[in-house]
Amino acid sequence: MTSIEEPIAPMAPAKGEYVHTRAAIGRTPLERIEYAIIVTTLLAMVVVTVQPILNLLAVSLSDNARVPGMSGLTIIPEGFSLDVWTVLVNHPRVQQGMLNSILITAVGVVINIALTTLMAWGLSRPGLPGRRAVYVLVLVTIVFEPGMLPDYFFNKQFGLLDTYWSVIMYKAVNAWYLIILVRFFEEIPEDLIEAARIDGANPFQTFYMVVLPLAKPAIATIALFYIVFHWNEFFRPLLYLNDQNKWPLQLVLRQFVVEGDKLSIVGLEDMGKYTNASQIDLRAFKAGMILLTIAPILVIYPLILKYFTKGTMTGAVKG
Amino acid sequence: MTAELAPHSNGPAGRRARGDFAHSFRQWWPYWAMLLPGVIFFVIWHYVPIWNAKMAFEQVRIIPPNIWVGLKNFQLLFSSPVFYQVVWNTIIISTMKLVFIFPVPIIVALMLNEVRSGPLRKTIQSAVYLPHFLSWVVISGIFIALLSPSGAINDIARAVGLQPVNYMTNTGAIRWVLVLSEIWRSAGWDSLLYLAAIIAIDQSLYEAAEIDGANRWQKIWHITIPGIAPTIATLFILNMGMFLSAGLDQVFNMQNDVNRSTIDIIDTYVYRIGLQTGEYALGTAAGLFKGVIGFILIIVAHLVSKRLTGRGVW
Repeated sequence: MTSIEEPIAPMAPAKGEYVHTRAAIGRTPLERIEYAIIVTTLLAMVVVTVQPILNLLAVSLSDNARVPGMSGLTIIPEGFSLDVWTVLVNHPRVQQGMLNSILITAVGVVINIALTTLMAWGLSRPGLPGRRAVYVLVLVTIVFEPGMLPDYFFNKQFGLLDTYWSVIMYKAVNAWYLIILVRFFEEIPEDLIEAARIDGANPFQTFYMVVLPLAKPAIATIALFYIVFHWNEFFRPLLYLNDQNKWPLQLVLRQFVVEGDKLSIVGLEDMGKYTNASQIDLRAFKAGMILLTIAPILVIYPLILKYFTKGTMTGAVKG
Repeated sequence: MTAELAPHSNGPAGRRARGDFAHSFRQWWPYWAMLLPGVIFFVIWHYVPIWNAKMAFEQVRIIPPNIWVGLKNFQLLFSSPVFYQVVWNTIIISTMKLVFIFPVPIIVALMLNEVRSGPLRKTIQSAVYLPHFLSWVVISGIFIALLSPSGAINDIARAVGLQPVNYMTNTGAIRWVLVLSEIWRSAGWDSLLYLAAIIAIDQSLYEAAEIDGANRWQKIWHITIPGIAPTIATLFILNMGMFLSAGLDQVFNMQNDVNRSTIDIIDTYVYRIGLQTGEYALGTAAGLFKGVIGFILIIVAHLVSKRLTGRGVW
């Protein structure tokens, strides 16, 4: 339900750890019926999850004139047309939004990973003087949130409003991910670190050449979390970015789909220029816009599944 | 050189006493250097806002400095019926979510665990985890389409002879839209935590139960559920700790002028009076009120969790 739960999730079950008992599907007819009910329920859940997205895809690919009569239940386009997609990918505001989102996500994740891994490694060293103090410094930010207005005024005081930095640096170090990484680093065998030191590596070299490669799966997992976070962020950009040219894709989508602001996409003065846009059915347009915003998530989703469901966080050290 | 750099290196006691700091510095400065950028980030991006929260006790003036007014903003806040309404809405929505959403991922995990075909289970998981990674802007877009008069739900309603309803502008239905859309988003992904706990249960318990002739439900009731009880307890307590965060991103995107009265929560209220109306001090006070209650709740949650399961929130 909340972001707090996410960090625990990477400790997922490893595939193949299930033990298939003899009585798996069921020995008696009653047990087989039970099994059928369970599987059917889960498949119904799959349909409920996927169908709305497929329906949007069907609507976005349908012949424009037939969209208004389309059922919300269908997943097959009526007719076929790429008009929606042509207009979308050529639309200046959509293009700008896409570029802004990519910029914020790319720069953001690099800063996230650099700061989080360095800090986690420092914090994970037993005996480091001041370690406890830094821990408390971090924990306080988890238990006490002063609210959105103090955050807003901080950005104002530091001249960050209307700059990409206001959005990029928000939660640059996520306290939960930091704690997870600290715990992961603490489990790296001291022998490995000791061996590197005896070989003449200084602490920075040890970090770069021993710790980072060892923690690759854990860092990849956290990087994916950060990427999803940046890509999906809309509230901070809404607070901090007045200039619509700096808006990420989520905000462009929000203005158009959630607020139903048709003019924001079609544009009053551009009605003539974007003849296609002004004629396209709004429902099809919104569907395409939603899918375009999801697309990058879908691209990295296989990676997410690979890392999150493999138990990388706990498995990497032991394995 | 090596002896000095080694953590926990015990030099002669006399030498340590004399150059304690210098010695410590030589040994640890690289780690402090690595910590520094992160620490600077926390101090600036988190502690400056905490300092800014003092605005809740001030009268904000166009030309600084602000004037200290003590608890006046809070008195104003607590005398406002709107504030009570948003606190009440927050409590209702959080309670509904706790009651109707919290058990769902547990049930999903129990069901997933019964699926014996690996590829089938994997396919189901791949599908139901996906919505967790979509933004609330996107999910709102999907639900607005789904619940619109021409959407799937009303198509079904019409098919069985019911009148179509516009759920997004129905004050009675909108809280349930919040509950159901949250289930749609998180039921699958949240089940992962319980599934991990189920996997960790000793398999020999199940084998012994089978030899004794236990059926599916007896095994679930007597082995699986007790086995994941600590996980359930921890997550329940954690959710209680975040009780006043009824889901800003979600509510913000599902709110409209018609349904606002029933789903206006503390966070959206802070945004509206603070940033839209410009009542900075009042908005900060409302935000601080939530922050302080949240602080108390999460500390209590941590202590209770530690007491019950031996595992704290952090």
